Amino acid sequence: MGRYIRRRLVTAIPVFFGITLLVFLMVNLAPGTITDLMGEGASSEADRAALEAALGLDQPLPIRYVQWLAGLFRGQLGQSFFYDRPVSRLIAQRVGPSLLLTGSGVVLAVAIALPLGILAAWKPRSVWDRLASVLSLISYSVPGFFLCLAGIALFAVTLGWLPARGMYTAGSFTSLADLLRHLILPAGVVCLSSLGELVKQTRAACLEALGQDYIVTARAKGLTEGAVMVRHAFRGSLVPVLTTILSHIPHILGGSVVVEQIFGWPGMGSLLFSGISQRDYPVVMGVTVVIALAVLLTNLLLDLVYGLADPRVRYGKG
Amino acid sequence: MKKLTALFLSLALLLTLAACGPEGKAADVVRYGMSNAWDTLMPYNSPSGSNYTRIVCDKIYDRLAYVHADGSLDPRGAASWESADDGMAVVFHLDEKAAFHDGTAVTAEHWADTIALMTNPDCPALGRSVFNVLAGTDDNGAAIQGEALGAEAVDEYTLKLTFKTPTTPEDFLLDRNREFYVLPTHLLDGTAPSEVMDLELWEAPVGSGPLKFVEEIPGSQLTLQANPDYHLGRPGFDTLVITVMDKSNLLPSLMAGDLDYYAFGGNLSVESAETARKGGIEVLEGTVPNSFYELMLNNQTISSSAIRRAIDLALDKDALCLHTAQGLGEPTATDLTPGTEYTSSLTWNRDVEGAKALLAEGGYDGSTYTLACTSNRSGLAALMQQQLAEADITVTIETVDSATLFSGMADGKYDMAIASHTPGALPLWFTESRFSEGNNIFHVSDLSPYTALIAQIKATSGGAERQALVDQLQELLAQERPFIPLWFGRTLHAQSPTVDNIDYPSSSFSNENVWEWTLK
Repeated sequence: MGRYIRRRLVTAIPVFFGITLLVFLMVNLAPGTITDLMGEGASSEADRAALEAALGLDQPLPIRYVQWLAGLFRGQLGQSFFYDRPVSRLIAQRVGPSLLLTGSGVVLAVAIALPLGILAAWKPRSVWDRLASVLSLISYSVPGFFLCLAGIALFAVTLGWLPARGMYTAGSFTSLADLLRHLILPAGVVCLSSLGELVKQTRAACLEALGQDYIVTARAKGLTEGAVMVRHAFRGSLVPVLTTILSHIPHILGGSVVVEQIFGWPGMGSLLFSGISQRDYPVVMGVTVVIALAVLLTNLLLDLVYGLADPRVRYGKG
Repeated sequence: MKKLTALFLSLALLLTLAACGPEGKAADVVRYGMSNAWDTLMPYNSPSGSNYTRIVCDKIYDRLAYVHADGSLDPRGAASWESADDGMAVVFHLDEKAAFHDGTAVTAEHWADTIALMTNPDCPALGRSVFNVLAGTDDNGAAIQGEALGAEAVDEYTLKLTFKTPTTPEDFLLDRNREFYVLPTHLLDGTAPSEVMDLELWEAPVGSGPLKFVEEIPGSQLTLQANPDYHLGRPGFDTLVITVMDKSNLLPSLMAGDLDYYAFGGNLSVESAETARKGGIEVLEGTVPNSFYELMLNNQTISSSAIRRAIDLALDKDALCLHTAQGLGEPTATDLTPGTEYTSSLTWNRDVEGAKALLAEGGYDGSTYTLACTSNRSGLAALMQQQLAEADITVTIETVDSATLFSGMADGKYDMAIASHTPGALPLWFTESRFSEGNNIFHVSDLSPYTALIAQIKATSGGAERQALVDQLQELLAQERPFIPLWFGRTLHAQSPTVDNIDYPSSSFSNENVWEWTLK
């Protein structure tokens, strides 16, 4: 297995640099630079030239990419154009809130989706199955920003139960209760957004497993339906379900752009959003590096977990 | 399965119980919303130079004066001022009670040193051109070696600014006050000008403004504390927390009682006003214009002034203004802000037939023009497209973000673009920066007639003589029509349900009277 991991890591290197090159080209070739945002066109040409020189934007694109790569090899993600701070520090400040928000949303979604998906597969056309369908439909079809605004309108404005913005009332941690009150609404939206895919995947995988011979054998052995479902059908459907769950890890690290932006949550998603709108290339690249690494490591993790979840999976030498 | 369910339910119960704990707002906190982030807490190192940065720096650092939306001025860092040297200088008598957050008194030396440092060519200050009105600086605002810089500490509390051309205190303050902040230069001793911007001081800045820095998550949240020793009075709250959030959530958060105020001045659209009222928020109507809408034109691709005038005639500014400002605006033929000292007799009328005649005169060949706009103005752009089509002018619309729009206009990619600005009380607030070699955003082939008149207006201190020159400039603009003035808009303000004494309109001039704010 060690050799397999090493091989996967080696093949991940060109993929990683390919991603960075692609993103670098995309953000740099997008029209406009940060200098175009100076005073909405009212600043002098000298001010703009000074800023371009200070940020290295007067250098050719290949040189800028090589400089960025050189910084990356030294463990530096560069200096934010907009905030004039090291990108790594900006990311470090934002990772925690994103992990908390998106992580709790996804954990909640998993906690709801797994039992609901199993129940929906176990009892087709039951109330559970219908509930699963309705939740999936909402999750798939309603855009995230609408869920955010609807949640704010209902729970914050109309009912006054939950806060509509930020992570804390007074700007910093005062109590767990305060943090949780601020977390419920945005995490609820993240949860609902992720729920549909998870429920559908769990239900479909369980239904497929229920048609397998080993389920017939389990039933023939006289096991209860619950035991058949949980110990056999669910275990047999773990691979696709795990794929779906673990594919959310990059999303957890990268944050949710829409939810964080609307709720004023200080996470990676809102950092990425401001990086793109302000043409802050180092920030966009920095966040991309984090997300790209997360995707590559998640894929590796998935491959390893498959082996644990399904004994038929073997790590070949080829 | 049962164990899992029990575990999940217990966890959910625990979280719910925890969330139901002590609710609400911590004592004496003003929760302040903002739809865009500031970029820096060092006011002379702002890449964007945006109003969001200015409104944040306004709280930490002091400026010379407080500018009201109607153009009137109140003392702030300076207690009084007067003209000197036949109008070539302004003497500011600083407030002797003003002090930095570390207790050091703010002196004229601090002001003079700040200006000397920021105009030092070795100092990588951004937006340095704001100093180019001072004697001893070049057009970019950099100090010229061997020449006396026009910023002098006459005595401990008297600052004298000397200009290149005669400038009244009012002209200077209305034009530049928002860019002039005093820095704690006593904390910079021994730092080379080239390294000033790298100091960690700017990450936890010490200013002399009404609020002190506490902590920051750049681009997301800023916590400030009331300065109890602020010379104009202690703010009536302890802490102010600024949160960056989406525009769409500002009013709902205010209605939910989760925000106390949002920048700038709790601006509201007419559509949102009804929602705000229903939500128990009082809505105030702005009294002075706080926005100026223009149609930027590319004078290179639309090279005939007759065609540019035809576009002006083809537009129904009343309908455009009604569509966007819903009656809270005033269509205009000039960029002179209504209600200020300077007026114009020029008027506008829609005349589609006249537009067609001008098109024929200008040799319009039926070309399709590209009109760029940001997504929130796509409806306005569509209306313009319709109106121009009635005069047989074909336009395609490109919806882009701000950076793309301005770079597209600067590159000459777009033929026209919709933009809005915060108007000023001075007659050159719009034209001066846009008709220069350094920033010829309209791609005017010969700037000299404009720059000559602008220079003459600047050299005249006021009165009938200046008004006559302003009239000449406006006549020239009307004839050449390098851009099309559309309307001046007033805004609606969502009044804070929890904070009193907010001067709502003045916030659009990048200053807020936070020292007068009190919690209800």
